[in-house]
Parts: sequence; C-alpha cells; structure tokens
Amino acid sequence: MKKKFLSVLLATAMLGTLLTGCGDDSSKNNGGNDTSTTPAESTPKPEDNGPSADNNGDENSSEPVTLKWAIWDQETTAYWKDIKEAYEASHEGVTIEMVDLGSTDYMTVLATELSGDGSDFDVVTIKDVPGYATLVQKNAIIPLDDYISADGVDLSKYAGATDQVLVDGKLYELPFRNDFWVLFYNKDLFDAAGVPYPTNDMTFEEYDALARQLTDTTFGSQIYGAHYHTWRSAVQLFGVLDGEHTILDGEYSAFKPYYEMVLGQEADGVCRTYADLKTEGLHYSAAFSGGDVAMLNMGSWFIATMITNLQTGEYDSSLCGNWGIVKYPHAEGVEAGSTLGTITGLAVTSATDTPDAAWEFVKWVSGEEGAAVMASSGNFPAIMTDEVKDLITGLEGFPTDDASREALSVSNLYLEVPYAPNVSEINSVLDSYHGSIMAGEMSIDEGIEAMNTEVGKILAQ
Amino acid sequence: MPKMDDAQKAAKINSLQEELTALIGAVRTETDSKKKRKLIAKIGDYNRQIDTMKSGKLLSRETKRDLVAYSFIAPNFIGFCVFTLIPIVFAFALAFMKWDGSNPIQWAGIGNFTRLTDDIFFRAALKNTIIYCIGTVPLTMIASLALAIILNQKVVGRGIFRTLSFFPYVASLVAITAVWKMLFHPSKGPINNILLNVLKVPQKSLPQWFTGGLVLLSMILFSVWKYMGYYMVIYLAGLQGISGELYEAASLDGANTWQKFRYITWPQLSSTTFFVVVMLTINCFKVYDIAIMLAGGGSGELTTSATVLVYYIYQKAFIDWDLGYSSAVAMVLFIMVLVVTIIQFRGQAKRERA
Repeated sequence: MKKKFLSVLLATAMLGTLLTGCGDDSSKNNGGNDTSTTPAESTPKPEDNGPSADNNGDENSSEPVTLKWAIWDQETTAYWKDIKEAYEASHEGVTIEMVDLGSTDYMTVLATELSGDGSDFDVVTIKDVPGYATLVQKNAIIPLDDYISADGVDLSKYAGATDQVLVDGKLYELPFRNDFWVLFYNKDLFDAAGVPYPTNDMTFEEYDALARQLTDTTFGSQIYGAHYHTWRSAVQLFGVLDGEHTILDGEYSAFKPYYEMVLGQEADGVCRTYADLKTEGLHYSAAFSGGDVAMLNMGSWFIATMITNLQTGEYDSSLCGNWGIVKYPHAEGVEAGSTLGTITGLAVTSATDTPDAAWEFVKWVSGEEGAAVMASSGNFPAIMTDEVKDLITGLEGFPTDDASREALSVSNLYLEVPYAPNVSEINSVLDSYHGSIMAGEMSIDEGIEAMNTEVGKILAQ
Repeated sequence: MPKMDDAQKAAKINSLQEELTALIGAVRTETDSKKKRKLIAKIGDYNRQIDTMKSGKLLSRETKRDLVAYSFIAPNFIGFCVFTLIPIVFAFALAFMKWDGSNPIQWAGIGNFTRLTDDIFFRAALKNTIIYCIGTVPLTMIASLALAIILNQKVVGRGIFRTLSFFPYVASLVAITAVWKMLFHPSKGPINNILLNVLKVPQKSLPQWFTGGLVLLSMILFSVWKYMGYYMVIYLAGLQGISGELYEAASLDGANTWQKFRYITWPQLSSTTFFVVVMLTINCFKVYDIAIMLAGGGSGELTTSATVLVYYIYQKAFIDWDLGYSSAVAMVLFIMVLVVTIIQFRGQAKRERA
C-alpha cells in the first residue's frame, strides 16, 4: 500500500511539468510590427538641436561604457539600429548592446529577466503600461525624477503623456515613441461607391452612416464599410474619448453605445464578425490590404507598415494603394482630434552599475535628437514638433491629400491604458469580458455588469 | 571504529552469532506476520554486521552494491530534484505566501485559498476543466477501445486503418487545430455550410463552434479525435495479450459476441483500462494547448467560457505576477488529480483482490 501511494504521488508529480507552461502573448496593445521606410539617413548632428545639449554628461566621454538594452524585433524594426548608431556616433566611449526578446511576449519575458538577481540590463524598453506597472511593483526600474529635475528635462514636450504613467507622483519611464489611433480608409472603394471621403471632423453617427453606405453584402464581392480588430482598444475605447471616462473607473456603462454600434454593424454585414476574426486569427493589416475594407481604425504605427509594404510590393497597390487617413470619429460635443494613444518608453533598471550613463541614453533617445532619428523612418516620436510632422508627411508614400496631413494633429490624447497599481488585472478582466460580449456569449448589459463587478472587486482590494 | 584485537573480535562475533540464533528461533515461533517481517529484517542486519566484522573492511559488500546502484540513479535523480521536485515543494510553500518574484516574500496564510472562492475566473476555469475531463475521458476510452477491437479483427487493410487512426496523434497540434478551425469556421467552414445548405439550418442559428457553450464541445471532440489513436495502440497490445483459448472455450459453451466481450475481453483488459483512464485523466486536467489553439484566437486570451485551470495558473503567475495565488490554483489542480488517481488506484486494488 505504501508503495502504491508513492507511485500515486509520482504520477501526480507529472503535474510538475505544467508549471513550466509555455508563454503566450499578453501584451497586445502596441505596434510591434513596425518597419521602417528608409534606411537610416544620417545621424543627426547634436548642434542642430537646442535645449538638451548632451555635453553635460561628464562621464560618458571619459571611460568606455557598455549599455545593455532590451528591445524586440530587431530584424524587422529599423529604428533600434538607427538609434544605436546615432547615439554611439555622438557619444564616444559608449557601446550599446541590443538584446532582442521578441515582440509577442516581450513584457512577460522582460519581467522574468528582471526578476531576482543576476540581471545585467541597463536600459529596458517599456512596451505597454500593464508591463510597466509590473516592473515598477517589482522594483525592477528606478524613478527618474531626480535626473529629470537635475537635467531640467521639460516634460511638457510630451503633451501630458507622462502624467498618465506617474506612479505615486514619480515617473519611471520616459516615452520616446507615441502612437495614436487614426482612421485609415481606402479611397478607391469610396470612389467606386460614389461616396465622399471621410473627414477630420465626424461624429460617430456620421461614421456609422458612412460605413453602412459603403457596405455591399453581395456574396462573392463583399465590401465591408468598417473593420474592427479583435483588440479591446478597437471597440471599447471609443468610450473613453470624451475624457470623462477611463478604464480604471470601475463603471463602464459608457462603453454601451459603442458595443451597440459595432454589434449592429456586425449583424448587418458592415464589418466582419468578431467570431470569424478570432477563428481565423485574421490580422488587421491583411484585412485592410485585401481591398475589401473601406475604413479601419488603427494606430499610427500602421502608417509606416503601409508605406513600406506598398513600396516593397508586399501589398497589392491596386487593392489598397490609394489610401488616406483622417482623425478618429468623435462623440457629439467632443472636440475632433481626441484619440487614443500608446507610448513606448525607456527605463533604467535598478540592477544597472552605470545608472548615470543609462540615464544619458534614455534622455537622449526621448529627446529631440532621438525624435529626429525616429521620424526619419516614419515612426512617431513622443515629442511631436512641426519639423517631425513635416518629416513624416514628407515621406514618399505618405498620402498626399491635406486631410491626411491634418489628421496627424491630435487635440486630446488618452492612453489606451493609463497607470494604476492593479492595471494588469483590470486589463485581464476587461479583455475577457470584451471577448464575451463580442462573441455573443453575453449580452452587452451582462458583460458591462460583469466588468463593473469584477473590476470593482479588484479596486476594493 | 577503534581498533580491536583478534580475541575481542572473535568474542564480539560470537555474541552476535548467539543473538542471531535466538532471533531465528523467535521468528520460527512468531505468528503475527508484521512482527515476523521486522524480525527477518533484523536478522539481515545481524548477518551484515557479522560479515563486516569477519572481513574487516570498512564497507560491507551490500553497502558497496547500494552505492554503485545509487551512483547510476544519481544523474537522473539530481536533475529531477533540481528541476521538478524542489520547484514542486517550493510551489507548495508559495501557495501560502504572497510573492511577485522580486520583492521579499510575505506570509499570506490561507488568504490565497479564501480568495479562490470569490474568484469568478477561477470558478469558470475549474468548471470548464471538470466538464472537459468528464466529457473527454469516457469518450476517448470508448472510442479507442472500439477502434482497437475492430482493428484487432482480420480485416483487409488493417495496417492502413491502424496507421490512419494513429495519424492525428502524430500530427502537430498547431497544424491540425488550424485545419479544425477551417472546417468549423462559423461562416465559411464546410460543416456550417452543410448545416446551412443541406440541413437548412437558418443562418442566424448556425453554431458558433469556438465561442460560448459550444467551445467545450469542440475541445472535447477535438481531443477525442486526436488522442484516441494513441490509446487504441495501448488497447491493441492489451487485446493481443488475451489468450485465444479463452474465446475458443467460450464458443464451445455457446457464448455470443457480447457475452465474450462482457466476460472475457473486458475483465482481461481491466489493467489496460486502468492505465488508460489514469493517463487520460491526468492529461485532461493538464489541458491548455487545445484551449489556446482552438479558442484563443490571435492573442491567445481565453474568455470565461473557454478558460482552463492551467491557463489561469499561467496568467496569474506570469502576466499578473501573483505567484502565491497562482500556486494556490496549482495546488487545487494537484489535489484534484491526486484524489481522482487515489480513487482509481483503490478501485483497481479492490478488483485485483476480488
């Protein structure tokens, strides 16, 4: 009997293997698939840029320093290398060593790397806010406020984005990239239907009507007026654009009209159904470049993807080559140009031996010099100046109409996920019930009710 | 050991020998089998001591033999300890702690377990896992047994059919889930097309195979189809171990096919069935990949209708970094598997005795 019991124990010990489950993507709200349009042009000359001159760091020219920097998708994203080269050229004795952790579960891998001792990263890229919250709670990254005040970094350049990631009044990252959501549209489909293009000032009613006008449900030649990717941000977060609601409220009735709009569109064949998209795993880029989607709400990272892939011929230009962008639709009485944003930031680890050199790098990349490097490849830096905007709109392949250029000016930017201590759990709850509502497992009211209860529990902890 | 001269040694051996003889006598008269076994073990000890004394070596032959055996086990056992046993023990401890992997560990008592009762995602995961097990274990067992019996007959092309049934097990899970998703695609898949065009199911009420209540059914069907080939092979081996004479004798007695199955095949297969059921149960409780691949979509996130315990353990541990809580969920899974397995072992032992 004893032996039997032992073998039972051993059999159940097989369960041990399950504790080492394989990773899956959790951090999805970001533009991880960016590619650059042009190779690194030239390294920006330090004297071009005024305020944040980098000759105040005494340490960075004296002895050689190597900074280990965590990034993702080094092969397909050109700006990492551009930044590394530009920084090494202007800072003698500094070597940047990039470590690619892959984009799918970057923040999960990074959090694991920075757990416990033995990590040797100096600078890490912060891909999303839930991951940022995790790292802050794990004390893996250090607050930058002392450096910011010592070096006089002007946070107002970031247009309020840094305020939304303050942790107890302290800032642990500086954004270097700031993407915001716009509405992409396929001009050919509008021309064919004889419908005027969308404008930079549309209410949701107008947008809905426009999408319905373009829709053609004839089997075999379907045209979808709109397309919503399966992310929560693509549907639910229309509800936070009024500036009065956030996902941290614990009260989500504001999302209801937008769920009703999108599910109504699904029912009438205006957009592909969520269940289909989930089953196929259809990527938004494949949907839009297929030429049967008239309008797509997506982040500005998709601009660089469109330009590159049209140039390389990966996307058929007869299907989607004639595209444009306009500002996000807005609710009645809300200022046009209110949109969602996602910031990508840099942080200094608590494990680094050279925090000063790491900070210099963070400051440089998030500053004007780094912004110029980012913009040269069609990416949106966190500091949006008119020069940066001109640089991006001047890129070959960027839509030439005035509305598309105008669409880049944002009036109010609300982060998809602002910081809160338990934002990671709130995110999981909202994601799950978003899925339930969209798949028809729950009615809109039931889903929102469940969000309220479950997030309420988290907030009460 | 202090050095002894030969005379002392001889005296010691003699006294040991006397005790040994007394013991042997005691064994002969002892009736309680438990005590008898203890005494026999003691006799072994005495024998070894006397041997060591006589040879005068530090290690007896038995000890040496044991050491050699342990040294052969060591490489595997050390690996098992470092990578499996210690983490499991640590997980047991963590279930009563609060830890995020970096900050100091805090004691949480049974707090993690009381949280479980109020956690809607945990309850959903538990419910789904149990439903999945209840559906999958008997179905897979029946399907694989039926297949094995059919393919144990002398039918033409038996080898081909055996290979075909084994094929899903060999094929990559990711690849075949992709095929299943195409087949069961809610609006473009052939299955729903047949339902729509042949069976005239209205478009609005076409089944959505990968969401809502149907997702568990899809998972169960998929799992039965994928794993029945593997268990079929085990059953085939079991069937071939049954002596043909038994069937011959039964035919002479006029038993029909059902009676042969009921009174020969099934009892003869009981140990095979036991193995199959234990393995199936353990594998079912561990389900994770099938749920992610069939219901996870592009992002691999599961809603309450498809979430399973292992996914929830992963989510709590590596996304929310709530390692203590996630260990508590793992403990629940551990206890469930342990209880089910103990019950099965008990049942098997009873049947063997009968």
